[in-house]
Amino acid sequence: MTSAFSLKRTLNLARWNAVLLTRNRLAFVYAVVLPVLPILIMLAGERGDPAVGATSITTVFLVVGLFPVYYNVLSQFVSRRDELVLKRMRTGETRDAEMIVSIALPGIVSALVISAVVVPLSQLFEQPLPVNPVLYAAAAVLAVIMFTAFAYWTAAWTRSAEAAQLTSMPIILLASLGPLGASLADSNETLARIIDATPGAAMNELVRVGWFGFDGAEATEKTLSFAETWSAAGPPLIVMAAWTIAACSLASRSMRWEPRS
Amino acid sequence: MNTNPGSKPAVQVRGLRRTYGQGPSAYEAVRGVDLDVPTGSITALLGTNGAGKTSTLEVIEGLAPATAGEIRVLGMDPISERGAIRRRTGVLLQRSGFSGDLTVRETLRQWAGTLSDPLPVDEMLERLSLTERADVRMLALSGGETRRVDLACALMGDPELVILDEPTTGLDPESRREVWRLVSDLRDHGATVLITTHYLEEAETLADRLEIMHAGEIVRSGTPTQIAEGHPSMISFEGLIDVPELPGLTRVTREHHRTTLETSALQETLTELMLWARAQDVRLDDLDARSPSLESVFLAIADGRDPDVPQTPAGSTPERSLA
Repeated sequence: MTSAFSLKRTLNLARWNAVLLTRNRLAFVYAVVLPVLPILIMLAGERGDPAVGATSITTVFLVVGLFPVYYNVLSQFVSRRDELVLKRMRTGETRDAEMIVSIALPGIVSALVISAVVVPLSQLFEQPLPVNPVLYAAAAVLAVIMFTAFAYWTAAWTRSAEAAQLTSMPIILLASLGPLGASLADSNETLARIIDATPGAAMNELVRVGWFGFDGAEATEKTLSFAETWSAAGPPLIVMAAWTIAACSLASRSMRWEPRS
Repeated sequence: MNTNPGSKPAVQVRGLRRTYGQGPSAYEAVRGVDLDVPTGSITALLGTNGAGKTSTLEVIEGLAPATAGEIRVLGMDPISERGAIRRRTGVLLQRSGFSGDLTVRETLRQWAGTLSDPLPVDEMLERLSLTERADVRMLALSGGETRRVDLACALMGDPELVILDEPTTGLDPESRREVWRLVSDLRDHGATVLITTHYLEEAETLADRLEIMHAGEIVRSGTPTQIAEGHPSMISFEGLIDVPELPGLTRVTREHHRTTLETSALQETLTELMLWARAQDVRLDDLDARSPSLESVFLAIADGRDPDVPQTPAGSTPERSLA
């Protein structure tokens, strides 16, 4: 093949996708404003309490994964497919992979910027700095990739932008099981195992381990050292990677570029 | 640079088949099409709605795989060598869309950013008479204006092969003529154009070569004159009248209060008919006699009156649309 993936083309398209995002008020609120709101949890809670910090940051991750990334990418892709914009783009030099990346990029950038900005911001609320910044960054990167993959998988069986409001529910529920998981964990061992294997719970766990050094779902104080966070992060990393791979393979098998006739 | 009989066709299609769906509900839209688009020509694929024109084009454009057959575009495979072909082709889809929140200029800048070697945006605005509308958002454009933006995108890469699927459908007569001028200019500057249309006038005015498609097959090929050649002339008049044996007469039909004679020798048949009418004192009201034209050939094909052409298969009802 003479023209492989072009970064220049992708960034050009991503730039215009970002312009479009700012011109659609609802999409803009979902992509940029909503994800910042969970930071308010720190404002309301006790200063310097890492349990409050962990609740706030894990909620930021959930909202960031679901809105700027998951729902935004899903609705942008589906509405452009509906409007035959994607079909037209495919008559040109743009490669499919460039379109996939460029549609996701504005939301991904928003998500990653928010995940980075909450680090200095949390200092205002006397929260600790991340115990293992590499792990924290990995959690953010893996989360946006996973939710992007979920978005494209959902798009495969979503008929229209309106239908996305319904078809997005399973993933939104699945991801939201994480925060609920902690309260259910002690009542039933099997249930706890199942919840641990959900993408939202794994993401939660990774943030709690990487930033706060918490050991286990009920922990409220730092007990893990920098070195210990690596091994504690193993299971949630594997769970997230598995979901990402599964979603990617499902999405690539069922990708559609024009509305069903 | 222009039509050169020695050079390879820009598009070569052999035995193309395209089937939609599977099992008992499968529908074969393209049933073994052979097609050559000579380099430097304007070739028109003419057919009724549902004849399989767009289904054929989508395969040539590399947007859909063929069920069977061999397709070469500029000597390459449209799917596996898509990247190389795309740099040298411009495609206008029959139906496509734009992001309504971008202006015309922004839309063209966005598209220019995807091309290896785009023509300047201002030049394209000028060529498509869009300069005045450059800062208007796409959602505020009329259908004709949107079509012109679409054309600007298709032509922005200065393509050597241009594929236009019904470029003038929905345009007013003035814009339609503008598009014709544009298409002729392309050919005059050395590009090859493959165009589909269901407007006979458009095909006759523009095309160097016609391919008439019906029910998934190409049933006639050649210049407009070649296509009409060998086709019967028509004589018709009001009333259901019994005529005698006339020289050259090949067929007589009486329907809708009209008698129609097909003949291979218009002058002789007409002369004898007139003499017979005078002798018998028969009045032939609303008498009409015409040599074979593209229109008569096309209508004969569309109505299934052409003996060489297979009947429209059950389940598909092409509507005739002639302007």
